[in-house]
Amino acid sequence: MSNIGTVLGRFLTSRAARGIVITLALIFALFPVIWITSASFNPTGSMSNQTLIPSNVKNLDDLLTNYRRLFDDPQVPFWRWMFNSLFIAAISTVLTLLITSLSAYAFSRFRFRGRRSLLLSIFLVQVFPNLLALVALYLMLIQIGKYVPLLGLNSYGGLIMIYMGGGMAVNIWLMKGFFDTIPRDIDESAQVDGATHWQSFWYLIFPLVRPILVVVGLFAFVGTFNEFLLARVMLNERETWTLMVGMFSFVSGGEFSNDWGVFAAGSLVAAVPIVLLYLSLQRYIVSGLTIGAVKG
Amino acid sequence: MRTALARAGVSTGAPALSSSPVGLILRLLALAVIDVFALLLAVSIGGDGNLFLALAIAATALIVTVITLVPGLWPLRWMSPALALIVLMALYPMFYTLYVAFTNFSDGHRQSKVEVAELLAQRTYLPEGGTSYAWTPFGNETGDRYGLWLVDAQGNTFFALPDQPLQSVTPGVSGSGPYDEAGIPAQMDGLIVLQGGERFRALNTLQTMQFGDPASPVGIKSRNEAGAFVSKWVFDAAANTLTDMETMIVYQADDSQGQFVAPDSTFAPVGYWVPIGLNNFARITGFFSGLSNLGPQFLNFLWRFVVAVAAGWGVYRFFGNTDIMEIWLVRRVVVPLLLLAVFAEPMLSLFDTLLPVPLFKVFGWTVAFALLSVLTAFSLGLFMALILNRDFPGVKVIRSLLIIPYAIPGMIGILIWRGMFNSNVGVIPATLRDIFGSSPAFFNDPGWAKFMILLVNLWFAYPYFMLLCSGALQSISASIYEAAEVDGANAWHKFWSLTLPLLLVAVGPLLIASFTFNFNNFLMIEGLIEGGPPIAGTVAPPVGHTDNLMTYTYRFAFSAGGTRDFGYASAIAVMIFLIVGTLTLLQFRLTRRWEEVGENV
Repeated sequence: MSNIGTVLGRFLTSRAARGIVITLALIFALFPVIWITSASFNPTGSMSNQTLIPSNVKNLDDLLTNYRRLFDDPQVPFWRWMFNSLFIAAISTVLTLLITSLSAYAFSRFRFRGRRSLLLSIFLVQVFPNLLALVALYLMLIQIGKYVPLLGLNSYGGLIMIYMGGGMAVNIWLMKGFFDTIPRDIDESAQVDGATHWQSFWYLIFPLVRPILVVVGLFAFVGTFNEFLLARVMLNERETWTLMVGMFSFVSGGEFSNDWGVFAAGSLVAAVPIVLLYLSLQRYIVSGLTIGAVKG
Repeated sequence: MRTALARAGVSTGAPALSSSPVGLILRLLALAVIDVFALLLAVSIGGDGNLFLALAIAATALIVTVITLVPGLWPLRWMSPALALIVLMALYPMFYTLYVAFTNFSDGHRQSKVEVAELLAQRTYLPEGGTSYAWTPFGNETGDRYGLWLVDAQGNTFFALPDQPLQSVTPGVSGSGPYDEAGIPAQMDGLIVLQGGERFRALNTLQTMQFGDPASPVGIKSRNEAGAFVSKWVFDAAANTLTDMETMIVYQADDSQGQFVAPDSTFAPVGYWVPIGLNNFARITGFFSGLSNLGPQFLNFLWRFVVAVAAGWGVYRFFGNTDIMEIWLVRRVVVPLLLLAVFAEPMLSLFDTLLPVPLFKVFGWTVAFALLSVLTAFSLGLFMALILNRDFPGVKVIRSLLIIPYAIPGMIGILIWRGMFNSNVGVIPATLRDIFGSSPAFFNDPGWAKFMILLVNLWFAYPYFMLLCSGALQSISASIYEAAEVDGANAWHKFWSLTLPLLLVAVGPLLIASFTFNFNNFLMIEGLIEGGPPIAGTVAPPVGHTDNLMTYTYRFAFSAGGTRDFGYASAIAVMIFLIVGTLTLLQFRLTRRWEEVGENV
């Protein structure tokens, strides 16, 4: 047909072109990572004096200057923020998995009146992202917090409830889809042998759905760990901040270019575990994206 | 055989109800605890005037109770925690947002009229002509307790402590001596008389305090005079008026806007919360009223639009089957560009007229950002997936390295870029200055700011599409390509006629999902640039050139500066929801339809 197409196509599939493209892509992807790593080891700690290979390093101990400042500064309770983030993410992930898998099992296995319409209703709830209900959720936590401080503003409980409520509908749908792919014969034959629903769920089905639990759990955990807007609105006291809210305070403080080294150190400590988690579970992520693709 | 038996067993067999009495008792006990807790909470919150939340909590408890107690509903027991969470944390906020959108709920309008009246009744002032006392202060050594020795115009003497009724005292007798010439003791109730410099130093603290019975307190008016406080505001429910006793101005309550209005049209310092109907939405759609002023220009737009559509139809109708359209460049590039130009011109002229309105600007950028970010990320992702879609040494490592940006927590990655783009000392402007002598103002120039946002967004988003496309590419069977090769198709042709259509079947719904996500992308805008640079002329809160609807809403509801306007913010949220909800439903529809298409292939 067209010559341009052929030539372009041939060039793009050539080894040289591939090499160039991959090199450029790697630079684009990795330069910020390399730059922030270098900044975190740069003892001067300010943005203006940064070089790719840290200068002014007299002894190896100098490399950790920013990390020491990060961990010792009382204005930056870094480990406290890390704990808050991990705690909130872990609790909401575990509870989400438990609650949604119970519901998904019921929707997948039981036939009862109103099942379809209930499923459809839950399906429609997820059309409204809970980010949009920000104001309502904020006012709600103020009200509840007056009587139950554990579920109010500046509490773990309030934020965990919000995160769980927001992801519930989507995750029930995702899980139900996966439960449907497991043959009903498995639990039915167990029930013929006298097992209760609970036993067949807990001992037979639950172990079989591990892949979807990993996927939903991973996305819930990382999503919660990374969430910023809700955490920023619901947590007003420095001590209760999550890591992401805390890291943003480096910018809003107005001294970003001077705190650059400390920020870089914090970024690395915060990001490395998540990146490793992602890379080690890569195969689950791809399958999760595909399930998401099929089941909406 | 066995399966059939099993089916029969399940369909007829009674559900395994509360297996043991202990289990039953435990379940009922847990239910009782939940119900009592929920009921107490609902009653307390209802007592505060928030009926909707009280009802939501009570309804949630009721649902859980019914599900637990009615045997026929046993399948629902498995989902009662999920249902409770959905009702309370997803449904209630949704409806409450809708409700707030129709009210004037904002700073200065946060309580009902009755609550505001009660609150104002507690405010007091010292009237000019009221009871007046001469005063002598008493204090302890640490300066955290004070008392006053008071003498009124008739010569009666009292001793006053905070929050206790005035006690009558007798000069020269009460307290312990030595007494001064007026009979004031040196010590009284464990407090020492303050004189000279001590008296002066305590003045600031004393002026903020109220002494005596909280219902009719006494406070210090001047260096020599103390007086009785009286209520500043009196609310008359029958007349629906609020009176300022100090100035004697009568404010009439205006229930349509939730303000107390004085005859000179000024407002009392606090308003109250009322439904205001569609006013918030009228503010949003204010720019539509601008449309009616356009008149001639709008007609101009309309006829040019009609011409453009007719021209496009004509081109394909008359040239669609001719040889010239067989040339790839013409079919795929020249004709679409021509049509785009004809369409774009009237569009742009209309935009020019509307753009000065900040909300329209925000809306336009929200759509543009969502569209461009999906387009760029999908294109680059697909391109890289094609490049990596073959086996060569190190491809796994390269793919893992390219995914890293996607794995980095969003806020952290964004802030890293924010540092690298820093106008004065960031590495990117500094390098550009080294090479070209100058660097664009990424944070102050609207165009460059948008470019920066799209670039950073591309860094984050394209690995996602690369992953998706890699997976989808591998699922396309090789035999299709073989068949195409037999028919003489080249690589380019195979891409446009086979790869891309098949890919779109698989990832199409996710493109819509990604558009929806970016439509609401708060993190990118707020983290990178906080909506800046500001649009000239917008104040309280300032709106920026790169604000999208989500950050715009946030600025109205939670900005540190101006008034927090929850009502208006909720109205915008409802508007976003209408758009996003439509898109999501469309996505669901497409998911099903495109699945069918996939099966037919």
